[in-house]
Amino acid sequence: MTRRPALDDGVRRGEIVLEHASRAFSVKADRGRTLKEMLIGRRRAGGPAPVQALRDVSLQIGPGETVGMVGRNGAGKSSTLRVLAGIVPLNCGRVACGGQVVAQLELGAGFGRDFSGRENIFLNGALHGLVKEQIEARLEAIIAFSELGDFIDAPVATYSSGMFLRLGFSIAAHLDADVLLIDEVLAVGDEAFQRKCEARIAEQIAAGATLVLVSHDAALIERTCERLVVLDGGEKVFDGAVEEGMPFYHRLMGTADAVPSRP
Amino acid sequence: MAYRYLFGQMVRRELRQKYKGSALGVLWYLINPLVLMGAYYLMFGLIFKLDDIEDYPLFLMVGLVVWIFFSQAVLSAAPSLLEHGALVRKARFPRATIPGAVVSVQMVTFLVILLLLSVVTIAIRGTLDVALLLMPLILACLYAFTLGFALAVSILHAYFRDVAPILSAALLPWFFLSPIFFRIESVTSRDEYRKLLEWGNPLSPYITAVRDVVYGGNVPDAGVLAYVAGASVVMLLGGKWLFDRMQDELAVVV
Repeated sequence: MTRRPALDDGVRRGEIVLEHASRAFSVKADRGRTLKEMLIGRRRAGGPAPVQALRDVSLQIGPGETVGMVGRNGAGKSSTLRVLAGIVPLNCGRVACGGQVVAQLELGAGFGRDFSGRENIFLNGALHGLVKEQIEARLEAIIAFSELGDFIDAPVATYSSGMFLRLGFSIAAHLDADVLLIDEVLAVGDEAFQRKCEARIAEQIAAGATLVLVSHDAALIERTCERLVVLDGGEKVFDGAVEEGMPFYHRLMGTADAVPSRP
Repeated sequence: MAYRYLFGQMVRRELRQKYKGSALGVLWYLINPLVLMGAYYLMFGLIFKLDDIEDYPLFLMVGLVVWIFFSQAVLSAAPSLLEHGALVRKARFPRATIPGAVVSVQMVTFLVILLLLSVVTIAIRGTLDVALLLMPLILACLYAFTLGFALAVSILHAYFRDVAPILSAALLPWFFLSPIFFRIESVTSRDEYRKLLEWGNPLSPYITAVRDVVYGGNVPDAGVLAYVAGASVVMLLGGKWLFDRMQDELAVVV
């Protein structure tokens, strides 16, 4: 129906390019503008100044790379993912992601509450641009992965938050992603399912997918990622191997003593 | 188009979500307009009787269903992007499918009611005519016009929260200025007022066209048909242009 902004111009499949990216957000409680402001031609005076979520960030991620992204709350991690996913445009700079981008920013965001799990698989698949036949081909694998059993035909409104997460992840994990963007979504599942998710992510990486993972779980990032990007105040303050990055990050956070480094 | 399947799924979701948990469910889509029609019939058919129009209840109803479709569709489309904020903020997909699904659901209800009403009207008035062949075209134009209008108000309301209240306030006088319970030529003898009511109100040619075919059993004037076609193209392209232009920041403002 609508034109999708071209996010894959001039990059290879699975490649991510961010050049001099900047993005600011207004932090007013009421995010919409009123007609009065438009007619007068300015916004309400006073209130907090816009927050610069990204400040001239450049990133070059090759196909198949695994990148963890860490930083304090408000450092710009989620903003970066939303920019890479093409949900939020940049104020200036350039962003490009090659191939099928699957963003897991909030699992089950598009679920119809009184649709069954099975119906939601179709709805969610469609939201990612798949058609009926493509979803049918993946249906069994998704249901099996989710371990929901007979609950797959119950409305998702009756699901526990863990079941909700399992279904959301199972769908996203079977979309043949070239670029995987994951934002702290694994924290809800039980340990067994978290391990299963990690294994599935590893499978996708082995198949050539690129991973950008935002998490506060340092151990998870150390297990999953080879490269680390540390953001602070919207700027990239570290970009390199995860072994060197983690100590840097802990020093930045002032938690170097509290967290034992890996043997 | 790969997203046609998404569109179908969004329509299903819209249908199910709106009256979830209510005993009558989807039937509310039909009951609401029927109650409205009953109320208007009581008011204009029985209390303020305009007796110079034959089969007045049918005359009234045919105009009224067109109005109810248009007003319900744009009123529910206006806040639709905000209502689906969670989805807009977290997923990347063509956002026009949201107001599009809202309008389509109303269109389905409208077609059901219009079909029932047409059968009754044609049976009573004997207006079965080849002019009926024009109906699909007129209805497609009405759908396009309403969709364009809905795209515009939904994206505007996402940025400027006054749009939906303004729209619902404007719909009331708009209703009374539309030739629904009266014939334009019977309320004014001044030519310029007549022209203004006929052409100044973009909805009036749609009402006239549907009524000419169903209630009158004749082909609408060429001028009316040209207006119906032209206005639908202009409104659809205009609404889509505005939507595309403004949708970039949508995930930030909803």
